[in-house]
Amino acid sequence: MSIKAGDQGQVRPRNRVKIRQLPTGVPGLDEILGGGLPEYSFNIIAGAPGCGKTTLAHQIMFANATPERPAIYFTVLGEPAIKMLRYQQQYSFFDDARLNGAIRFINLSQVVLDNDLGAVLDTIIKEVESSNASIVIVDSFRTVVRKAQGSSSEVELQGFIQRLALHLTSWQATTFLIGEYVEGELRDNPVFTVADGLIWLYQSIERNSIVRKMQIMKLRGQESVSGLHTFRITDNGLQTFPRTFGLAPEARRVRGTRRLSTGVVGLDAMLGGGIPEGDSLILAGPSGAGKSLIGSHFIAEGLRKGEPAILAMFEELPAEYVQRAATLGFDFQTPQKEGKLSLIYLRPLDLSVDETVYEIINMVKKIGCKRLVIDSLVGFELALAPGFRTDFRESLYRMIAALTRMGVTIITTVEVVEDFTSMNLSNFTVSFLADDIIRLRYVSINGQLRKMLLVVKMRRSPHSIDMCEYEITSKGVVMGTPLRGYQALTSGIPGPWSPQSDGAPGLLPPHNSPRALPSATSTKLRTPKGGTSKVRTSNARAPVKRRNG
Amino acid sequence: MDKPSLSTRKLARKLLAASQTEAHTNIPQVVLVSERLRVALTRFAGADGFTSLLRRAMVLASAEVPALRVVRVSTTGRLEGLEDVAFQPDIGMDAAVAITAQVLELLITFIGEPFTMRLVRDAWPNESLDGPLSRIEDD
Repeated sequence: MSIKAGDQGQVRPRNRVKIRQLPTGVPGLDEILGGGLPEYSFNIIAGAPGCGKTTLAHQIMFANATPERPAIYFTVLGEPAIKMLRYQQQYSFFDDARLNGAIRFINLSQVVLDNDLGAVLDTIIKEVESSNASIVIVDSFRTVVRKAQGSSSEVELQGFIQRLALHLTSWQATTFLIGEYVEGELRDNPVFTVADGLIWLYQSIERNSIVRKMQIMKLRGQESVSGLHTFRITDNGLQTFPRTFGLAPEARRVRGTRRLSTGVVGLDAMLGGGIPEGDSLILAGPSGAGKSLIGSHFIAEGLRKGEPAILAMFEELPAEYVQRAATLGFDFQTPQKEGKLSLIYLRPLDLSVDETVYEIINMVKKIGCKRLVIDSLVGFELALAPGFRTDFRESLYRMIAALTRMGVTIITTVEVVEDFTSMNLSNFTVSFLADDIIRLRYVSINGQLRKMLLVVKMRRSPHSIDMCEYEITSKGVVMGTPLRGYQALTSGIPGPWSPQSDGAPGLLPPHNSPRALPSATSTKLRTPKGGTSKVRTSNARAPVKRRNG
Repeated sequence: MDKPSLSTRKLARKLLAASQTEAHTNIPQVVLVSERLRVALTRFAGADGFTSLLRRAMVLASAEVPALRVVRVSTTGRLEGLEDVAFQPDIGMDAAVAITAQVLELLITFIGEPFTMRLVRDAWPNESLDGPLSRIEDD
C-alpha cells in the first residue's frame, strides 16, 4: 500500500486495486515484466514468423492452466493444430497431464472462413463462458483481422476488438492474441490501441548467427524493464535474459575491506596486500605471458581458504584446463566434485553477454562463489553473436557491475597484441571496467625475452609502482625483483639507465647480470592519489645478491 | 508407415463395439466411429485437418483390406461407398478395424498417445478408457 499526500498536506493510505500477477513460465520473463503478467489483461504477442510466439504462448498456458480454470487455445488458419501440437510437445514444459481438462485446443478456421466477425466473437465467447477459461489464446489473430479487413470496415474491426477485449476481461480471462506484425503496423492499428500489453519478439540473422531479442513495448498497470532483452529457445522453451539481471538495487552490497591473496608470492605485496574484495581486476598481457596461470593461482588460493570459485572459460576446454593445472600442482578436480569450483565453458558462437551473466550469476548463487576468473575477454567476444559484439562494452559493464555487487572478486584476462614501441593496456578499451589493472609484458634484455609485471592501477588502495620480473616455472608464476637500471622498460626494449635520463643519479646497465630473481625486497607503493609509500614484500625464496638496480 | 500396433487395434475394436450398441443398425459401425472422431477432431484441428487424416488412413487401410479401395472420403470428412464393404460378413469387421486403427495410429504418430487418448475419451465419455493405450482390453 502506498502513501499519497492529502489535500491538507497529510499523507493517507491509498486503497488501490491489487492486480495479481501470473507467472509466465519463462525463466527471466517475470522479472522483465515487473513481476509477471497482469491478471485479466488483454495482450498481444507480436513478431515475425519463426521468432517463438507460439512457443511463448504455450509456456504461459502450461504455467497457468488448471482443470478448474482451464486455458483455451484457439487456432485460426495459421500453423495447423496437429502440427503445432506435434512440435510443441517436444518442449519440456509440455505436460501431458494438463491435456486432461486443463488445456483445450479449438479450431476456429471454418468459423473465420465462413462467417463475419460477429460469429467469430460469438464462438469465442461461447467457448470461454462454457469452459470458465482463465487463459485465452488466439493464434493467429492476424489471420482473423486479415479476413475481416476484406469484408469489414475499420470501425467494425475496432468494435470487434473492443468487444472481444471487454468480454474476455469481464469473464476474468487473461488473453493473448498472437500475430505476425511488423513494427510499422503499430500506428493506427486498433489491436495495439486496445491491448494492455504488447510483447514483441525479434529474430535477426547477422552473419552466421541468430540473435533473438524481446521487448515489452507496452504494459498497462505496472512497470516493466524497458529495452531489448536477449532470449534463447531451447528444449525447455523460451528463456529470457533480462538486460538488468543482477542489477536490482537490493542486490548491491557494501564492499568488504578484506584483501584476497592472488596465491602468487610477491604479487600480493605489489597490490598493497592482495586484491580488495569485490574488485574487478584486469590482467592484460600478450599470449604466453601467464595470464591464465595467475588466474589459476587465484582460484587455487581461494579454494585453499575455503572460498568457492568459478572459472568462466571461452578458449580452453575444461578438461584440458584441469589437466594443465594439475601439472602445476593445482587440484581442480576434487573441488569440482565437492561443488566448490565450477568451470563454465561457454563457446556457442551466438552467445549474448546477458546469457553469460545469467549463467554465471546463477552459479555464483548456487555455490556461494567468492572468486571468479573470466578467461579471456578475447574468447568471450569471439563467442558472442556478431549482433551482440557492438554492445560488448556496455554489456560487459553491466556484467561486471552485477557480479561485483554480489561481492564476487573478479579477474578478467585480456590478451593484448604486443609491440615493441608502446604498451597498450588492451585492445578493447575496457579498462574503465576495472578497479585494478595488472599488465604483463615481454622485455628484451641482454639477448633474452624476459617477463615483467606492473600494477598499473588500483582504484581504492596504494600499490607498487615497481616493474618486477617474473618467471613461469613448474610450480607456476614466481615473482622476481624490480627491474632496476633500465629506462624505457615499458617499450619492451629497455636501454641502460643514464644520469642524463632525468637528471637523477644513474645506475649502471645490467649487462651480464644474473636474472634478478627473488629476494626479500622492498617495493614502492603508489597511493590512489599519486603519492608513494613503501611496504616490505614477503618472499620465501633465498635472497640473491643483486648487482644492479 | 508401420501397421497399427496391437494396442491401437484393440482400441479400434473397443470403439467399434461401443458403437454397436447404438441404435443405428443400418449404418456401418465404422461410420459411427468415424463420425464421432470427426466431430472431436474437427473441433481441435478443423474440418480439413480431419478430412486429410481420414484420406490418408483410407489409403493405408486399403493396403490391408483391398476391398476398401472403392470407398471415398468426401470433402466434409465423411466416408462414401462403405456400405458394400462394411456389411460383407467375411471382411466387414476387418475393414472397420483397419480404418479406425489407421486413423488412431496416424493421430498417435502426429500428436502422441496422451492427446489422442484425450480426444478419444472426449468422444466416448461413457466408455472406460482410462490409463494408457497399452491397458486397453478387448470387450
